[in-house]
Amino acid sequence: MPVVGKNLPHDSARGHVSGESIYVDDMPPAKNELIVDFFYSPVAHGKIKKLDLSAARKVPGVVALFTHKDLDGENLFGPIIQDEVLLAEDAVHFIGQPIVVIAADNRAAIKKARRAIKIEIDELKPILTIDEAVAAKSFIGQTRAIRRGNIKEGFDGAEHVIEGTFINGGQQHFYLESQAAVAYPGEHDQLVVHSSTQNPTEVQEVIAHVLGLGQHQVVVITKRMGGGFGGKECQATHPAAMAALVAHKTKRPARISLSNDDDMTVTGGRHPFQNTYKVGFDRDGRITALSAHLYSDGGAFADLSPAVLGRAMCHIDNAYYLPNVEITGTVCRTNYPPNTAFRGFGGPQGVATIENIMEEIAAYLKKDAYDIRTLNCYGIDDRNITPYGQVFKNNYLPRLFRELAERCHYKKRLEEVKEFNAISRTHLKGISMSAIKFGISFNTKFLNQASALVNIYKDGTIQVSTGATEMGQGVNTNIRQLVADEFTVDPEDVIIMPTSTEKNNNTSATAASSATDLNGSAAVAACRKLRERLTECAAEYLASQMTDIEKSPGNIVFENGLIYDNRRPDKSVSFKDLVVIAYHRRVSLGERGFYATQGVDWNWETGSGTPFLYYTQGCSVAEVLIDRFTGDLRVKRVDLLMDIGRSINPGINRGQITGGFIQGMGWVTTEELKYSARGELLSHSPTTYKIPNIQDTPEIFNVDWIENDDNTLNIKGSKAVGEPPLMLGISVWTAVKHALSFVSNGKLPKLRIPATNEEILMRMTQYAKHPGAGDEQLKQPALLP
Amino acid sequence: MRDYLLFYVNGQEHRVGGQDVFSPLSTYLRYGQGCTGTKVVCAEGDCGACTVLIGRAAGGTVEYMPVNSCIQFLYQLDCTHVVTIEGLKVEGKLNPVQEAMVDFHGAQCGYCTPGIVVALCSLFDCKTQADEQDVKDALTGNLCRCTGYEPIIRAGMNVALERVRSTGELYPPQEMIARFGEHQGRPALIASEGKTCFIPATVEEAVDFKEKNPGTVIVSGGTDVCVNINKRGLDPDVIMSLSNIAGLSDVKVENSHLVVGGRASLAALADWAREEMPELYKIMWLFGSPQIRNAGTLAGNIANGSPIADTLPWLFVMEAVVEMTGPAGKRLIDINSLYKGYKQLDMAPGEIITRILIPLPENNETIRLFKVSKRQNLDISAFAAAIRMTIEAGKIHSAKLAYGGVGPVVLRLPKTEAFLEGKEAALTTFGNAGKLAREEITPISDVRGSKDFRLQLAENIMLKFFLETACGREPVCR
Repeated sequence: MPVVGKNLPHDSARGHVSGESIYVDDMPPAKNELIVDFFYSPVAHGKIKKLDLSAARKVPGVVALFTHKDLDGENLFGPIIQDEVLLAEDAVHFIGQPIVVIAADNRAAIKKARRAIKIEIDELKPILTIDEAVAAKSFIGQTRAIRRGNIKEGFDGAEHVIEGTFINGGQQHFYLESQAAVAYPGEHDQLVVHSSTQNPTEVQEVIAHVLGLGQHQVVVITKRMGGGFGGKECQATHPAAMAALVAHKTKRPARISLSNDDDMTVTGGRHPFQNTYKVGFDRDGRITALSAHLYSDGGAFADLSPAVLGRAMCHIDNAYYLPNVEITGTVCRTNYPPNTAFRGFGGPQGVATIENIMEEIAAYLKKDAYDIRTLNCYGIDDRNITPYGQVFKNNYLPRLFRELAERCHYKKRLEEVKEFNAISRTHLKGISMSAIKFGISFNTKFLNQASALVNIYKDGTIQVSTGATEMGQGVNTNIRQLVADEFTVDPEDVIIMPTSTEKNNNTSATAASSATDLNGSAAVAACRKLRERLTECAAEYLASQMTDIEKSPGNIVFENGLIYDNRRPDKSVSFKDLVVIAYHRRVSLGERGFYATQGVDWNWETGSGTPFLYYTQGCSVAEVLIDRFTGDLRVKRVDLLMDIGRSINPGINRGQITGGFIQGMGWVTTEELKYSARGELLSHSPTTYKIPNIQDTPEIFNVDWIENDDNTLNIKGSKAVGEPPLMLGISVWTAVKHALSFVSNGKLPKLRIPATNEEILMRMTQYAKHPGAGDEQLKQPALLP
Repeated sequence: MRDYLLFYVNGQEHRVGGQDVFSPLSTYLRYGQGCTGTKVVCAEGDCGACTVLIGRAAGGTVEYMPVNSCIQFLYQLDCTHVVTIEGLKVEGKLNPVQEAMVDFHGAQCGYCTPGIVVALCSLFDCKTQADEQDVKDALTGNLCRCTGYEPIIRAGMNVALERVRSTGELYPPQEMIARFGEHQGRPALIASEGKTCFIPATVEEAVDFKEKNPGTVIVSGGTDVCVNINKRGLDPDVIMSLSNIAGLSDVKVENSHLVVGGRASLAALADWAREEMPELYKIMWLFGSPQIRNAGTLAGNIANGSPIADTLPWLFVMEAVVEMTGPAGKRLIDINSLYKGYKQLDMAPGEIITRILIPLPENNETIRLFKVSKRQNLDISAFAAAIRMTIEAGKIHSAKLAYGGVGPVVLRLPKTEAFLEGKEAALTTFGNAGKLAREEITPISDVRGSKDFRLQLAENIMLKFFLETACGREPVCR
């Protein structure tokens, strides 16, 4: 029986529930090991005048202090644009920017050394808002554009036009395991580094680059992460490189594990965006033209910002056909930590922009937003080309809209919401349906490759190594199931090994939802080669055991751990025995598989291409209840319906959907980053940064998906599911916007992301106190004194 | 004088002196004992990843409750039994809670999982069945970033209850209780590298020590002090832990007063309020998390004196009386005159809070408590309020109002109270009272909310009170 499609437990679940799973900082300390941490910039922007380490060097227990001058390689790197330094040289660009690496025997000495470092900085005026960056023309990379149709004609033909500003705040990844690494020095300047990273290859490359080593001298191993969400795609490199620097220089094992507060202060998160838009539509609400300019806050260095912006621009259409469209986008350089990958990777900001527009068109025309959405939804046979020219195939959105609306009685409940709001003096309700069409594949073509190493041992057990990293999402479990089925063996006989650059070279990050797609395909490719050899071997062996059949590999069948010739199914050999036979016949029982996604391409010069192999789709209906006096928000009910192709592991997929949704809900509701006017993050721990609590889960939460077999482009007909459900969380926010439309005096309700209780209450108050208000555009939230 | 702590970890006796005494339990477990199943994320009691069970002797048995080990320092744990995630398997096999977490995909990245398993095991220690709300309430103190909680809730509701063995069954209590008994009555004084910790056995010893050591920092539940040590550079040389003083942990009604002992936990107060004062229970349910309520005390909430302390507005309108015990004996002080400024208390160096006496309200009084925070649960208030009124025949006879989060201390609103008294209980009255309330307060903008938000809440809460208490007369209140 195949195990693909079965609800197997996560391969680490038993270790997780008993506390036996090992994370980087759980690794037993090595003899002579040093603790590593760093001293960082206390100001957002300035020139370093003087750095005095003499007192810090004298702190008992301190073994070494390193600055950029101690790097034997280059102190400049970056995945897209090389503009980032590991350790500040003469200038600092954000609060939290590392300046000095501290190595000590114990944690107390690190604390004291941090306090003993004396620095003088000539402060410069920081850029702390997108408006300031635009005024100063402080940008990263170039402005990009996606255009289609005739924008002028589109607006000329519009009966109505809305112009507006969309603003979203950032989001902290809040992975529970902070950035961490342990580096072990080896012979001949070699290093073995255990890193909590989604991207072991990048950690390897950056370490080699800054230390002046060859990549072959650095092995990076990732057993697992305690959460990643994109935050360990690029930004795990810095702490790992610091540990590597210390190990390399002192020849002692070196361990770093950031405190939660430092982690939140020094690393970036989801990009704040400030988008202006102009949308034209007819009397029914059908969009004729959309022009939008997206500004993202990239922070001080490029990191992945240009790619994040690109994905935002490729997702502003979301589920909706835009006949005439002009999307431009610019990354702003500001004095915050570099913002980076975060589940959705720009998708959420693009999707929220258009879902916001859908609510506004509905409010403007006094129609049901569901009708506006379905009216504008991509067609199956026509109106099915995206602004960037990719044909949207296998479009399940019309079905998902319709089916979910029926299942959750959307229309009836909308009427109930209206009745409630007409009567209640204490509370306000809103209901909204939003959708997701999420493109799967890296926009950057060359990243769409993966390798796998499959080793079969003489007892028939199998080790698999791929470039995928496990952060809880279950990629290892998926690959285990895929591999088990290739040989029809028990999944318990398959172990997915820690990710290591020694086993798999030049890997892509575990990102873009596509780790199983890419690495699972590579693993299967390796298995197929092994199976071919084993088939040959079995054919020969079985023929030798029987007089009535000739060797015929084409007749060999693998089934339930047995291998037989289908002309003589009664005579079989077990997989374990076959492996021994193959070994004795000197058949290689190890194989490497490689996979490169076919048919994807992208051109930024034209803003067009076929960047995605396929689209994962879904719809969500959220109903919210708002306290009219406090702005407090409760999510009463959520219904999700997705298309995820054929599920490899339903339990794992379901967990990705519920987890993604709640993380998206957090982004649009309670997760608010508060900064001071100095550019200092004030909400740097869970006391002040509020991710959803178990009590915030919807009172009714229905999760389901349709099964379909048409995604033949991907492994086993599956679809990637890591990121898409996060964007269904936006329905909670559009439901708030819907609720506000009942009290906004006929004006379009304005609302920022996140819709905190304060944001909601202050909007309601404004409408109540100033009935004429409501037309002014949104502004960024104020910085605190 | 004893110079060591005695406690058990997963059934093994530990006697600890020296510097370790001044460590958080989570540090001791992870780096001292290699018990790395206990994770530390926030180090301030706001995520629950470090949750362990603490057992204390009670009535011939050991009672266990979940706490955050990052903000429990060893000196708080004398005569306790610590059970960590490593100590929850049954005969080397996963227990039914762990099995359900595996089967229902309750773990993804696994980092919050040990804390969640410990908290869930604790739920089933005292419950033979649990509904969805019970599971949520047991896990309010445990953040998970991966699952969206739904798989964890399903795991919690699908535990094979018939096979659950309580912590007390796993760890026979007799030997521990005997050992605790030998130690609890003997005060401990532990000094190491310039730090001193005193664990008195009686109030008299505590008062005497505090008087002789004026800089002493008192630690009871530690939910505030320990956060300040971990995060805000508090580094006290002299610490006194009240954990072994007997007879201060009761919550009981005496002479029409609710009497809360100086060591009584917020959980004990919540347990009492559940049946006897549902309005208070509503706020206690929002107060922190089970882990925080199990450790924190009402006296600590008072002594810490934060203007956003969740119990203070209630205590203010109830006109609670705080009993201080000092070298000169006992003294009673109305809580309304206890605070002299931001975290400044009218308290002599030798005094400790031994009891809180709260006059029980009359039947004809209406009391409503409000807490507004960015997130409903496990969040610190941006604004808090207590409103206590007697309304008869449509007229307001008396009004007592206290707001938190609107100034350096919790404030009574005398002008608004005076305005309300004698007025008709009507929407316009409360609307005007709200506008007046704005003028009596001086909120600031901070990370929890802006000044304007707080002013608006101060105004709106009057209307909310009126409309919600008028429920029944009004067409729709929810």
